[in-house]
Amino acid sequence: AGGQRSRPAVESDSDLPQIRWRMATSWPVSLDTIFGGAAMVCERVRLLSGGRFDIRPYAAGELVPGLEVLDAVQSGSVQCGHTAAYYYVGKNPAFAFATSVPFGLDAQQQNAWLYEGGGNAAVDRLFADFGARAFPAGNTGTQMGGWFKRQIDSPADLQGLKMRIPGLGGKVMAALGVNVQVLPGGEIFLALERGAIDAAEWTGPYDDEKLGLNRAADFYYHPGWWEPGPTVHALVNEEQWAALPKIYQDMFSSACHQANLRMLCRYEALNGTTLTRLLAGGTQLMTYSDEILQAARDASFQLYADSARGDADFRRLFEQWRGFRAELMAWNRTVYPLTRFLHQSEVS
Amino acid sequence: MAPRPAQPPPVQRLLRRWLRPQWPRLWAVSRRIDRFNSAIGRAASWLVLVMLAVGSWNVVGRHLGVLIGHNLSSNALIESQLYLFDLIFLLGAAWTLQRNGHVRVDVLQARWTPRQRALADLLGTVFFLIPFCLLMIGVSWGTVASSWHILEQSPDPGGLPRYPIKTMIPLSFALLALQGISEAIKRLDRLLAPGPSDAMATPDGR
Amino acid sequence: MDPTLWLGPGMFLGALAFLLLGYPVAFALGGVAVVFALLAIGSGVFDPLFLTALPQRVFGIMNNFTLLAIPAFVFMGSMLERSGIAERLLETMSQLLGRIRGGLALAVVVVGALLAATTGVVAATVVTMGLISLPTMLRHGYDKSLAAGVITASGTLGQIIPPSIVLVVLADQLGISVGDLFIGSVIPGLLMAASFALYVLVVAWLRPKLAPPLPPAPAGQVREAMARRLVLLVLPPLGLILLVLGSIFFGIATPTEAGALGAVGAIVLAAMNGRLSRRTLREVSESTLTTTAMVMFILLGSTAFSLVFRGLEGDRLIAGLLTGLPGGATGFLLLSMTTIFLLGFFIDFFEIAFIVVPLFAPVARDLFGPEALVWYGVIVGANLQSSFLTPPFGFALFYLRGVASAEVATGQIYRGVIPFILLQLTVLALIVIFPQLVTGLPALTR
Ligand code: NA
Ligand code: NA
Repeated sequence: AGGQRSRPAVESDSDLPQIRWRMATSWPVSLDTIFGGAAMVCERVRLLSGGRFDIRPYAAGELVPGLEVLDAVQSGSVQCGHTAAYYYVGKNPAFAFATSVPFGLDAQQQNAWLYEGGGNAAVDRLFADFGARAFPAGNTGTQMGGWFKRQIDSPADLQGLKMRIPGLGGKVMAALGVNVQVLPGGEIFLALERGAIDAAEWTGPYDDEKLGLNRAADFYYHPGWWEPGPTVHALVNEEQWAALPKIYQDMFSSACHQANLRMLCRYEALNGTTLTRLLAGGTQLMTYSDEILQAARDASFQLYADSARGDADFRRLFEQWRGFRAELMAWNRTVYPLTRFLHQSEVS
Repeated sequence: MAPRPAQPPPVQRLLRRWLRPQWPRLWAVSRRIDRFNSAIGRAASWLVLVMLAVGSWNVVGRHLGVLIGHNLSSNALIESQLYLFDLIFLLGAAWTLQRNGHVRVDVLQARWTPRQRALADLLGTVFFLIPFCLLMIGVSWGTVASSWHILEQSPDPGGLPRYPIKTMIPLSFALLALQGISEAIKRLDRLLAPGPSDAMATPDGR
Repeated sequence: MDPTLWLGPGMFLGALAFLLLGYPVAFALGGVAVVFALLAIGSGVFDPLFLTALPQRVFGIMNNFTLLAIPAFVFMGSMLERSGIAERLLETMSQLLGRIRGGLALAVVVVGALLAATTGVVAATVVTMGLISLPTMLRHGYDKSLAAGVITASGTLGQIIPPSIVLVVLADQLGISVGDLFIGSVIPGLLMAASFALYVLVVAWLRPKLAPPLPPAPAGQVREAMARRLVLLVLPPLGLILLVLGSIFFGIATPTEAGALGAVGAIVLAAMNGRLSRRTLREVSESTLTTTAMVMFILLGSTAFSLVFRGLEGDRLIAGLLTGLPGGATGFLLLSMTTIFLLGFFIDFFEIAFIVVPLFAPVARDLFGPEALVWYGVIVGANLQSSFLTPPFGFALFYLRGVASAEVATGQIYRGVIPFILLQLTVLALIVIFPQLVTGLPALTR
């Protein structure tokens, strides 16, 4: 049919191949902010390539289950994926640093470490063992500290508390005496609502409201000290990456940069709006006491020291990360008076 | 429907002549596979009770644990309930096939002769079951190997190792393929057994 | 021609044709997946490496906590059956109701609803009630079609009255809470049971020959015996129901865990009835293993099928076909319900839940909002319930055929279920028109 239509510049540009990829993700479509990050990578690449480099994002479970994305990229069943590296700490405990660790870096610090502080290179080395390349492609911002059925003021209140919390945060909570539960996402609401568990964490106001957690518990704690600024990564199978034309590689990594920034912006904007609505609806915003925060921080760094003793990758990454973090914290402290002043003198 | 042949079609006669000397050996293979898989299946069925006990303990232990202020449940226990469930159906599938427990749509078969049913089952085993098992073994090999290579653990605190349970995927399909061989031998026997030959009249028009 | 245009639909036709061959559903689906994967690889639609997603999918199924409910509920149903608890429950009920016209059929409906609230395993309820009540009903001159219809229909109540495996699977596919779906389907399930009971009463009243009353029992000591039986035989199973539902409701256990508690409760009941032996335990465990393997391998076969189907872009084809049609919300409801109902004539509810429901779910979410997914789940569940009954592939029909004597013809079973399918569709229409029937109870408990 019509070969006379006008075409984008890239397409008329002759010899670039037509490439179709599949992207497996860890997210249901209903979590539109985080799935939206994956969709944005695909959309940008398609746009930049004039449609010649076509990636289709798949929701969790469509091709592979949400927690099996790395396996799928490694085996080559999909060419790329969009996931959180800390889902794979069972494969290598050091993956935790690639996403977020308790009392680690906030989103801005995390990006500084990844792009300028040697983080990306260190993370790439971890993924190399699994035949994959990793690109930061989203950040949820600082998450919340979970929904509680009752108030917790001191570490003693945590004893025997039943909480749904995965990952390293769960390990720290377990060290503080919490009965850490594994529950599938679909069962969190009912378990919390009926009291089968006393507390549950998901992400932040926007996603938590979707799960209806505000209808199941009254006390909404902050800050989410176990996930100060989690990065989500786009993963690409190494062989598929190597076979890409250079210009497609550039398009892909640019698209990931863009998604990394935009997802954070969307979460920040939507969380602000949602938190206001939640508070108006009766949710009580609570702050973790310094006592609990100190106990949790001590337990966290004890956990890192223990893990570093047992695992070479973890030790290497932890030491590099800790060095960078110390310098960055020192620098950020010099700016802190302004932040503190702004927050304390906020007029509404 | 084709007219009924007066005697067995040539293929059947040839097969019968060729297979008859092998038959005792084939039959022994089938019997051995059946015994092997039924032993595994019977053993696995006791795991049902273990799984229910662990599952109940996970509920009771959690509530009791709060009362006495000591955690009686754990992710290891929660995951072992799941892994027991996996063992039950993965190890039990072959025995279920042996006992004809896998559900089928038998409206047409109800009208067929035993020989026609045997032929359909033989074709199904050769063209569906065994290729499916081979595919599953083939595609899961790499994942299982890399899980062993890194001695993959559960990502959840206090969870169980994952490489043993992942190994059950190819193992289960290997047991199923074995059972498929036994079932094929049994169906072949029924097909080739001497008797009224009407059963061989082109089943369902093929 | 683009091979994806015919390979995708070809898979469906191939599956239908091969399922008719009568080879076990699980492996027919898996086999069709292999055949079409080879065709797809041969015509360059996808790379063989694409299939390495299969072990990940299988592992995802192995790691799915909600599926733990399957062996637990199967065990509970099987234990109630083999220990004779279910049988005596029915006998007592029918004696209580025996003097009412159509009382025996009414007892079947009531016991079916009670068993439904404990097990949710259609095979268990249909087989049990077929064994116990069919001979009794025929002996008392019941019409064969009516008897067959009431048994199979009541047996399928296990599907819509919680707890139920179908609802567990549906909740997973729709991404909603199992508990919400359980609570939401209570009223529709009771409505269905009530409509069956009403139908039985009306038929017995209009045409007494079809459902004659039992001869009156001598009074006096019988009443005392009845009271004892009520306490001994009816209350314990009711207690078990309360244990399972109550532990979910009051947050003592998640639905998954409640299954394990229910199974242990069934063992205790059997022991209290003096029916627990090593042999019973072994038989029940073995049948649990067999049924679980059967169900799980249908999931494994179907996961292979749907992976290849997606690889062939078949999901896009159907999505385009289904969403491209005009009609908005009403059109979508009609289309999705008709599709599920028609597919239900041919294929099993698990395959429908896994292949078609994921296609409808996002559209339903867009059209009605995420809150309405529970309501949508209930109407899909009610619709799937009919698929157990629709000839020729209604599984409940097979289960009854398996235990019915030769004097009941397959045609009589087929004819008998038709009024009940119509009743189910009527209730389905009511739920669609009055969503409060679903949303009312969850709103109250909130
Ligand atoms: Na039920
Ligand atoms: Na059907």
